[in-house]
Amino acid sequence: MTPSPTDARPQQKGLPIRVRQVSKTYGRAVALDQVDLDVQSGEFLTLLGPSGSGKTTLLMVLAGFVRPNQGSLHFGERDVLRLAPHKRGVGMVFQSYALFPHLTVAENIAFPLKLRRVPRPEAMRRVEAVLDLVQLPDFGGRGVDALSGGQRQRVALARAIVFEPGILLMDEPLSALDKQLRERMQIELRALHDRLGITTVCVTHDQREALTMSNRIAVIDRGSIIQLGTPKEIYDRPSTRFVADFIGESTFLPVTGSGGTFRLGAQALKLEGYTPPPGANLLMLRPERLALLPEGAPGPDPRYNVITGRVTDIVYQGESVLVQIRLDDGGTVAARVSSARAALGAVPVPGASARLAFAPEDMNLLCGEAG
Amino acid sequence: MRRRELLGGSIAALAMPAIITGARRAEAADENQLTIVSWGGSYQDAQSKAEFEPAAKALGITVKQQTYSGLAELRLRVKSGAGGWDVVSSGSGTAARAGKEGLLEKLDYSVIDAKSLISGTAQPYYIGNDVFSTVVGWSTKTFGKNGPQNWVDFWDVRKFPGSRAYRNNAMLEPALMADGVPMHEVYKVLSTEAGLKRAIDKMKQLKPHIAVWWSSGAQSAQLMKDGAVDMIAAWNGRLDAANKDGAACAYTYEQGLLDTDCFVIPKGTKKRDLAMRFIAEISKPKYQADLTKYITYGPTNEKAYDLTSIISPAYAAQLPSSPANTAKQLLIDDAWYMKYYQKAQAAYQDMITG
Amino acid sequence: MKALAAEGPNATELGRDARSERWMLFGLSLPALLLVGLVVVLPIAWLFLLSFQTEGGAFTLANYQRLIDQPSYRRILAMTFEISLTVTAMCIVLGYALAYLLAQLPRRVAGVLMLGVLMPFWTSILVRTYAWLVLLQRDGLINVIGEHLGFWQKPLALVYNMEGTVVGLVHIMLPFMVLPLYNSMRAIDRDYVRGAANLGAGPIQVFWHVYLPLSRPGLFAGGTITFILCLGSYVTPAVLGGGKIVMAANGIAGDVELYFSWGPASAFGVVLLVITLTILFTASRFARLDRIFGGGA
Repeated sequence: MTPSPTDARPQQKGLPIRVRQVSKTYGRAVALDQVDLDVQSGEFLTLLGPSGSGKTTLLMVLAGFVRPNQGSLHFGERDVLRLAPHKRGVGMVFQSYALFPHLTVAENIAFPLKLRRVPRPEAMRRVEAVLDLVQLPDFGGRGVDALSGGQRQRVALARAIVFEPGILLMDEPLSALDKQLRERMQIELRALHDRLGITTVCVTHDQREALTMSNRIAVIDRGSIIQLGTPKEIYDRPSTRFVADFIGESTFLPVTGSGGTFRLGAQALKLEGYTPPPGANLLMLRPERLALLPEGAPGPDPRYNVITGRVTDIVYQGESVLVQIRLDDGGTVAARVSSARAALGAVPVPGASARLAFAPEDMNLLCGEAG
Repeated sequence: MRRRELLGGSIAALAMPAIITGARRAEAADENQLTIVSWGGSYQDAQSKAEFEPAAKALGITVKQQTYSGLAELRLRVKSGAGGWDVVSSGSGTAARAGKEGLLEKLDYSVIDAKSLISGTAQPYYIGNDVFSTVVGWSTKTFGKNGPQNWVDFWDVRKFPGSRAYRNNAMLEPALMADGVPMHEVYKVLSTEAGLKRAIDKMKQLKPHIAVWWSSGAQSAQLMKDGAVDMIAAWNGRLDAANKDGAACAYTYEQGLLDTDCFVIPKGTKKRDLAMRFIAEISKPKYQADLTKYITYGPTNEKAYDLTSIISPAYAAQLPSSPANTAKQLLIDDAWYMKYYQKAQAAYQDMITG
Repeated sequence: MKALAAEGPNATELGRDARSERWMLFGLSLPALLLVGLVVVLPIAWLFLLSFQTEGGAFTLANYQRLIDQPSYRRILAMTFEISLTVTAMCIVLGYALAYLLAQLPRRVAGVLMLGVLMPFWTSILVRTYAWLVLLQRDGLINVIGEHLGFWQKPLALVYNMEGTVVGLVHIMLPFMVLPLYNSMRAIDRDYVRGAANLGAGPIQVFWHVYLPLSRPGLFAGGTITFILCLGSYVTPAVLGGGKIVMAANGIAGDVELYFSWGPASAFGVVLLVITLTILFTASRFARLDRIFGGGA
């Protein structure tokens, strides 16, 4: 490893990660079921899933704290499957941050450098550089206990990257922060990642976090990767009802039909440019993708599907207004109207009839159980 | 000068308030009850069977027995005015000091018949009741019959190699005898500054060979039973008790230190006269002769030896106070202990820890 | 703010409530304070007073002068500290290993084993000490086995000396070391260990740089308790020391017997108390520093 004299930017690019056939069971419980995963060099990949899905187990396998039952694991060309954690050379940000309470901020950050026998003046320079990077200059002498949650998070990050690892692992790095700080840190982490180009694997159960920070997201459920894709792919074209449910809000309506034609009630859906999976039986609609057409307004672009119904409830949610509509063909959908538009009178009153429009790219047809 | 059961001392001191209040309540209970206090263990058992119970019966009274840990406890009780103790069994040296400190009632020798007692054992504040001896003892496993026969031998580590046990509290007479001081001059020499130093120096000589400094009679017996040492300076009764318990040891009265256990009446008793009569009773030959059945301590009343149905002449020869044995031994000088003991003990402590 | 507190609505009433609450708290703690005063402060004050008195009750410094003049007192104190330090050091080594083992085990298993550690508490010190005597003495079990197996020819002097006393004391003190150590080790988050390993520390480095510093509060607590309890040892040196090992408590007991008054023993007691308090104070300063650095996590 060649130390850089003035800043913490790594000389080498991040290492790719190759996971093959990795399984881990705890007694009868299957935590990971033959997982395959490739993380590209310099990519920010998020493992997203509910608690108990196996995402943390996978991260711990990468870090070396959990020994899988089978499989192979490579960082770059190096087979690391049977390597002890301290020999893997990956940085990690723990959920609890794991900052050593008996050391100062600077001592914490210098810890991995000390272990690597980096000369003291050099180590001090790098500690300062990385503290600048995480925007905590002059914090080196403080005790860890004297830091706020966000500051601790930054110190933990600084410690994980100061030794310029090829891979950075993060276990729910922002879960201990309040909402506002969390959102700011998401942006910062992403910016930092862009700057450092370090291959990053992050575990979270927070879909917003995943969408904001990641190059790609792997949605995990019951030990398997259900869908792997960019945030936009995952959000716009969820492959299963589970993914659709887990990320964003959605309403599901049963559809009938096959081949090129699907019907919602009696109405044939316009699918121009969209090829649904074979055997699809559910129409998935996201509230913010439904356009509520003003009373008496002319119809939209003919590409759009239009459905009608009656407003049953209106929920004010601050930045937007959620309108509940019972469809004439049965079923209920929700449409989100931004507060700005709501102020212009775009929201009907309860009991009024309503028309909703959506283009093929705003809808999804999925296989799954209705309900 | 007996300072037994050191272990119990501080524990007893801690429990003192409880003992005092307990005793107060008991005191009022019975005009015809005496509270007798002794050292406990096998010794008090013997006293109880041979003396306390029979004498109480003869006088038509009852006795209540307690145990205590030493002078400090007696001192605290008398000085605090707690009372409740009527007759106390004590070492003669301790009794002499207690008498000097004003803790004791004077004994009334118009009530107590002390005419046939060994001379020097009936004193103003205390009366001897049994005689024991600090003797040279040895393990017969190590030496057979030919163990060290006097203090000179005891000090002779070439002739008698092996580990020794010695008293934890100052006992300097043997050191002087080992250094060649004749028996009758021991206390004269020991009363001088130079003599004390001479004794301590002699102790220092033997010190590397002393494996254990014992602090209680029970411990000394246990040492012989466990085979922890090859030679010991110990009380003869304890060595006999150890043998009864399976130890293999022998001892000689040659140059032994003859000492007496005695009875005193502490100040503060409300039954002084009854206590006096009780002491008069147990000083009679019959009781003292009976005591030898339970423990090999000799009577102070020489007439006890006349009761040959109880003490056979053969058995008498084994007791420390039999005339033949008395002649070989040095009688402990209570006056010396009163005057010099504290100083001697301080020097002794320096010697042990040095 | 000040003006607001004094003049706002109900300010007087609320202030009165706060004051009466404080008095009530004081009232509630009064019995405890009295008890502490009665059983702790009063006897110590008495001890202090006695140490400056002659037999007759006059003021004297003789009791302290004696402590200086007579070399045995200095030696007893030195021996007391030497033994206490040795025992504490051995307890740290043994206790740390034991506590570490327990802390690594699942809680339920550790609980059962901890019972084994605590078991000696249910038997008297005297019994345990005599048990060591039986094992260590000249014809004791260890010598018999050692000679039988030919490890040594002549019986080893295992007891009636410093070594035997230290062995007996270590056995008695070990639980006092293990308990606080175990607690502080249990409180160490697994993430610290993992974090250190992740940053490149091998098992030994993890232990040295992270585990040991984080278990330091327990080490301090256990060490202090052990050391101070050791200073007051009485039974063990009396039984296993063969009279050669005289610790402070044994010296005090001897003085109680030897002198007409409580003064000499009290003076020795006061000296021991002062030294002990000094150590406690110093140790507590260390412990507090430790807390500032966050060792109490």
